[in-house]
Amino acid sequence: MAEPAIVAESLTYRYGNLLAVDHISFTVERGEILGFLGPNGAGKSTTVKILTGQLRPMSGRAILLGIDVARYPKQVHARIGVCFEQPNLYEELSGVDNLRLFARLFNIRDIDIAGLLHRVGLDGRGDDLVGHYSKGMKQRLMIARALVNRPDILFLDEPTEGLDPTSAEAIRRVICEEQERGATVFLTTHDMYEADRLCNRVAFINSGRIVALDTPHNLKQQYGKRMVRAEVVGPDGSLLTREIILDQPETAHEIANLLQHERVVTLHSEEATLEDIFIQLTGRALV
Amino acid sequence: MHITAIWALMVKDARLYAANRLFALVTVLGLVAYIVIYFLLPATVDETLRLGLVIPDSLSALSEMPDNDAVQVTRFTDVEALRKAVASGEVEVGFAFPADLYDQLRQGTQPTVELLLAPEVPPDFVSVYAAAARELSFTLIGQELPVVIKEEILGVDMVGASIAPRQRILPLFAVLVLMVECLGLASLIVAEIEQKTIRALLVTPLTVRDVFVAKTLFGSLFAFGQAILLLAITGGLVKAPLLNLTALSIGSVLMTGIAFLIATLGRDLMSVMGWGMLALLIMALPTFTVLIPGLAADWVRIIPTYYLVDTLYRSLNFGADWNDVGGNLLLLTAFALLSLALGMAALQRRWKLFLNN
Repeated sequence: MAEPAIVAESLTYRYGNLLAVDHISFTVERGEILGFLGPNGAGKSTTVKILTGQLRPMSGRAILLGIDVARYPKQVHARIGVCFEQPNLYEELSGVDNLRLFARLFNIRDIDIAGLLHRVGLDGRGDDLVGHYSKGMKQRLMIARALVNRPDILFLDEPTEGLDPTSAEAIRRVICEEQERGATVFLTTHDMYEADRLCNRVAFINSGRIVALDTPHNLKQQYGKRMVRAEVVGPDGSLLTREIILDQPETAHEIANLLQHERVVTLHSEEATLEDIFIQLTGRALV
Repeated sequence: MHITAIWALMVKDARLYAANRLFALVTVLGLVAYIVIYFLLPATVDETLRLGLVIPDSLSALSEMPDNDAVQVTRFTDVEALRKAVASGEVEVGFAFPADLYDQLRQGTQPTVELLLAPEVPPDFVSVYAAAARELSFTLIGQELPVVIKEEILGVDMVGASIAPRQRILPLFAVLVLMVECLGLASLIVAEIEQKTIRALLVTPLTVRDVFVAKTLFGSLFAFGQAILLLAITGGLVKAPLLNLTALSIGSVLMTGIAFLIATLGRDLMSVMGWGMLALLIMALPTFTVLIPGLAADWVRIIPTYYLVDTLYRSLNFGADWNDVGGNLLLLTAFALLSLALGMAALQRRWKLFLNN
């Protein structure tokens, strides 16, 4: 069996008196998409920096593809792709020149730049200066840049934040394609919908600690409450909402009562969202 | 070391430099301006001192006055004619002796000798000409000074071979070219931090050392190339080309180290310009010793560019060889390595602080 793509062992990092990452441990299997969820300042970006060798952990160690990142960062860098939260492209160069530069840094000569641009929906815009790109286009180019070396692990830090739906969808499509290719994806986000839809597992991080790590389905099963939400017509004719928790002994009786005694307008079953679960676990919202 | 990656970074920097309109314009216009100014400046120096004399006919000593390439003597009949000649620039200095010089001396009165000077004569020279008038007076009345003056030129005798203004200013231009490119390099490095691209570079197989090698090579070669072009066009490579190229290459490394230091201090393009202009001003001070000899005191030798300017000046204008400027080159090399080491250490520290946040 192949060794895990990422092994984090008791990672710790401190900015002055602030403990940003507090003895975090987890494992990401090869070909898995792990969503790393948490509010701003929770320690997500610091963890990514440690995993990608940008920061040296104060204790613990990170093993990527069987290689200790702190000891052999360049061996790791040759096999990973990193897409940063904020655009950091050469704005005075064209999209093609940006990609070509990074291909050369990885010593790759036969790169299909047109194919990469096509994958991220930038066909026909490769020769434009990056400074003339919109935010979404820059983000898509950053994804393309992270793919130039066909990485075994792809780190994506808030890749769809603030993007238009088209750009966000293009990026989600690439993430799925990369997983199909066999790459592992470490996705940092606070978009619960995105995490739910894309990730095999999600980790909730709060105040530098992982508070939960499992598949979205299991998290919902474990922490969430399924319910039926109904809209009914009230005595004065206004619409009222009724919520009935499922999986309780009295559930069937309550639903029967509702249907017999109320004028039901709509009736939906609902399950808890990841956001609900995060709030339940941490008492904080994800923004 | 990743040669392909380093080359790719250098090509990238060259393209970014060309894309920066300010630096591209300053580079091209600067080079053209230096070359144009060089060719507009006089290629030769008129060393002839033109003297005017009003002297009594009875005095035969005039025949003893020197009249050669260095001193040209013109005799005038009266003071008014001499005055007009000085005013019009026909002669630079006029000595007018009274017609009754001997009579006055015999009567025991003190004759007056008029010294007429053109306005462009430097103030320091007025006393020199006054002394010359006194000595001339002694000669005319037959009273030679009771001493023998022995002349000895130590070093190269520059009589008849004065340095033309264009040759005097050439080392200054060569150093200015290097200094301006140092500002360009500093701005490229600061942009790397400002746009956070350094973060992207360092999660590739590229190491911090590779980045420094690329920046050092690009900065040094770009500045060096322009200085060579300037010297090639102005004929500065005809004399001691190897010596001059060596001095310029070491000077380019020195400027690259200074560019690293400026980039460490600069937060954006404007602050790079601010710190850069300060550094440029300090580094340009030694060039004034070339333009106006005797102006600067010995302390100017603590400025590294002194050893570059002095080497180029002496090599280009006095035919100095390796033995003459060897000490200069050694000190220049020491300064260059020191500035590069300091610049790299300071910049690496700043990058580390940036990357840790």
